[in-house]
Formats: sequence, C-alpha cells, structure tokens
Amino acid sequence: MSTTITERRETIKEIVCDILEIEPDDVTSTSRFKEDHDADSLRAIEILASLEKTFNVVINQSELGRMVNLDGVYEVVAEAADWK
Amino acid sequence: MSDIPANRVVITGLGAVSSIGLGASEFLSGLRSGRSAAKPITSFDTTGYDHANACEIEGFDARQWIKNLEVETLGRASQFSVTAARMAVEDASLADADLCSARCLISIGTTDGESRDLDHLVETEVRHGPERMDPVVTARVPAGRLSAAIAHEFGMTQVEAVTLPTACAAGNYAIGYGYDAVRAGEIDYALVGGADALCRKTFTGFYRLGTIAPELCQPFDIDRKGVLTGEGAGVLLLESLESALARGATIHAEVLGYGLNCDAYHPVAPNQDSIAQCMQLALDSAGVKPEEVDFISAHGTGTKANDVTEARAIRQVFGDRTPKTISIKSMIGHSMGAASALASIGCALALTEGFIPPTINHVETDPECNVDCVPNQAVEADLRVVQNNGLAFGGNNSVVIFGKYEADRI
Repeated sequence: MSTTITERRETIKEIVCDILEIEPDDVTSTSRFKEDHDADSLRAIEILASLEKTFNVVINQSELGRMVNLDGVYEVVAEAADWK
Repeated sequence: MSDIPANRVVITGLGAVSSIGLGASEFLSGLRSGRSAAKPITSFDTTGYDHANACEIEGFDARQWIKNLEVETLGRASQFSVTAARMAVEDASLADADLCSARCLISIGTTDGESRDLDHLVETEVRHGPERMDPVVTARVPAGRLSAAIAHEFGMTQVEAVTLPTACAAGNYAIGYGYDAVRAGEIDYALVGGADALCRKTFTGFYRLGTIAPELCQPFDIDRKGVLTGEGAGVLLLESLESALARGATIHAEVLGYGLNCDAYHPVAPNQDSIAQCMQLALDSAGVKPEEVDFISAHGTGTKANDVTEARAIRQVFGDRTPKTISIKSMIGHSMGAASALASIGCALALTEGFIPPTINHVETDPECNVDCVPNQAVEADLRVVQNNGLAFGGNNSVVIFGKYEADRI
C-alpha cells in the first residue's frame, strides 16, 4: 500500500475508534461495527458526519448500509472523494 | 387513598401561539380548515442544506401581548410562553389581581429552552470572540425563564414556577404536573403548557439524522419523509371544577387523567411496549375504557419509525376498535416542547366545537400504520373523550386524556 492510502486508512480508523469508543487494537479491517463493537445507528451517522468533515466530501446516508466495517468505510469514502 | 374526594380539574383558559394562527380562535380556524404552515426557513441562513422547510411563526410581535416585561429581556421561546399565558388568562376572564392573590403553579415544558439565542451567541463567539457576546442576550438563556418570566409578567409571588425539559413530550408532562396540584387542592390556578422557538441546532440535528422532510410533513402516509421543525407555545389555565363554577367561568374541557413513563430504551428509537403501557396508564388514571376514546391526537411526527411504532402501540391497546388517529403536526410541524401543549389545546377545542382535526398532506395511508387519520378534511363529530399522545427521545412518554365537561361525570 502507498503511504497515502495507509495514512487515509489510519485516519479513518482513528475516527471510527474515537466515535465507537474502542481500542484501535480491537478493530480489524473486517470486524463489524454493529455486531462486533456494539455500535448503533446514531454512532453510524456520527461516523459519516465526521468523515464528511475530515475529507471534505458528501456521503449519501443510503451508503450507511455499506459502512459496516473499516473496509466498507474506506470504499465509500474513496468513491465519494474520487480517490483513484 | 384519602377520604376527601379529589378535585375535578377543568380547563378554563386557552392560549395558543402557533404557526397557523395566534390565539385560540385563529388556531381553531387553522385546525378546522387544515391550514399548512410549511415554507422555507427565514430565521437562519440555510446555505449548505439541500432542503430547509419548517413551520415558522411569521411577523410575531410580543409587544402586542406582553404588558409589563421588557420584550428585549426575553428570548423568543419565553416571548411565546408569556404571550400564550397572557392569552390563557384573558380567555379565562381572570383579572391579574385575582391571579396574584391566589396560590398558583406555572409549569412549562420545553425541548430547547432558548437555544435560538445560544445559536447566535455561539456564532458570535466563534466569529468575533466571547467578549463580543451580548450580555442582554446571554441573560435570556436559562431555560427556567420560560416559566419564571410568566410569574414576573403577572407579578405573581405565591407561585411555583418550573420548566420541564422532557423534550418532545414536555407539554404533556407540564399539564400532568398542574393537574396533580389542582386535583390535590395544593393550588388554585395552574398555567401549564410548553414553548419552543425554531433553532438551527435542532433543525441541523434532525437533518443530520436524515429525518427532516424535504417539503411537507405527512404523518401515517406511505411516502412520509420525516418531520418539519416548528415553533410556538400552548398554555392552558387549569382550576378545580368548584372554583370554575363559583366564578362562573367558561369550561372548555376537563382533564380526566394522564400517564407518563420513561423506558430509556434508546436515545432516539421509540419503544412500542412502553408507549402502549403509557397509554394504558393514562386510561387507567382517567378511569376511561379504550372503547370510550373518540379520537387520538397522535404524536405523529411523520418519521418512518415514529408513526409505525406509535400506530402499533395504539393497536396493542385499542385492538380492532382503534379510534381515529390524527396528527396536528401535519399542519404546524413539530413544535418540540410546545407540540403536546398545542395539541392539547386542539383536543379541548375539538371537544367544545365537535370536530376532529384532519391529518393534511395525506395521499395514501401506510398499511403498516393502518389508522384512519382523517385525511385532509376535518370531520364533524360528537366527542366525549379524547387522548393526546406525547413521545420524546430517550423514551420519555406522556399521554393526557381530556373529556367534554359534563356536570354529572363520575
């Protein structure tokens, strides 16, 4: 992975861990926020809002269904920000 | 239980500050004709929102109503609450001097207090620094002023003034508190209700949750898209039946009882069983059987979650004999702490005038809700008992039961 991608993934992970109040070591790229980390729909919206601010993008709320783990979040943000 | 029979509690004054009409008679004509207050927001800059409709009160001038206080010392929500109290006292044909020589209670429910002022103060702080924050505006902020300002306006001294912050059900909580005090004979008059002013903070919160409707509020409709935020105040004057008869007051309706509970099940999601339980508590308190309820004024916000959950809870209690279930929010939006107070005034007016207010903007009823919401046109009806639901975030529920005044009701 290039440095940029690593940095972006790291930033996303920080945002998610901060909002879900969980330790970064407990999260993997595929562990699920709701099932594995006890997240609810309000936290999901908080994550979405924080990503929009940090990366200066607009994410449609219908994308929440894909934002179930770090991989999913990265994918959605990458599309919204048009990262190649 | 005491051997001394408790007082019957009646409503003798109505004060409505609403986006479809100022004063009870204008509010009544709005409810009857199914008036809509939905339009683009003017009270703050809506740049950056894809859609921004709400139900604002246009051209409100508190100076027309408030006699003694400097209007500049009151935030918009307090201006609404004091105005509604003035209207209620006037409607009750009660002189200021008589009010002041009696034992009184003021209880006003709210969601946001003076958050409209906080919006502006925070904006000033961020843009220009805290030293530029206006001290007059800052002094208006404490939510306790929504009720205390009423006492100041009338010069009342033998009074308990409380502001109840139980959000979107707060108006009903406040009515319940006044009902208890009058019923127990602890006080002579209670001014009870709720007030809120439209604010950017709350609009943005609902917007962020994806629950603001783009144009219209359509409770129980299959295509409902959420709430429209609103504003206003409703204040009712309560007194004992004995007191009302002794002074020859016009009795609008009787408060038969109320129920409240808090399940704390989820920050925003309503809980069906708990709402059903709250309705049952209210019916039991009023000594009313479900089949005696002639219509339900629902919380009916127009969100997917509220309407289906509330409708299921109603079915849970009322079964196949579910009464007509309407939402005034279709007309005036969600006026937060004022919502259940204004809806209570709507219930009192419905009982006296003999009609059921409509649910406007209605196209097709959601089969999952499955209620007769009196679509678009008010209907004439001879009513005896009406139920008013108030459901708030955090699972704060409150339901009040009103009855047509009948001398020999047991």
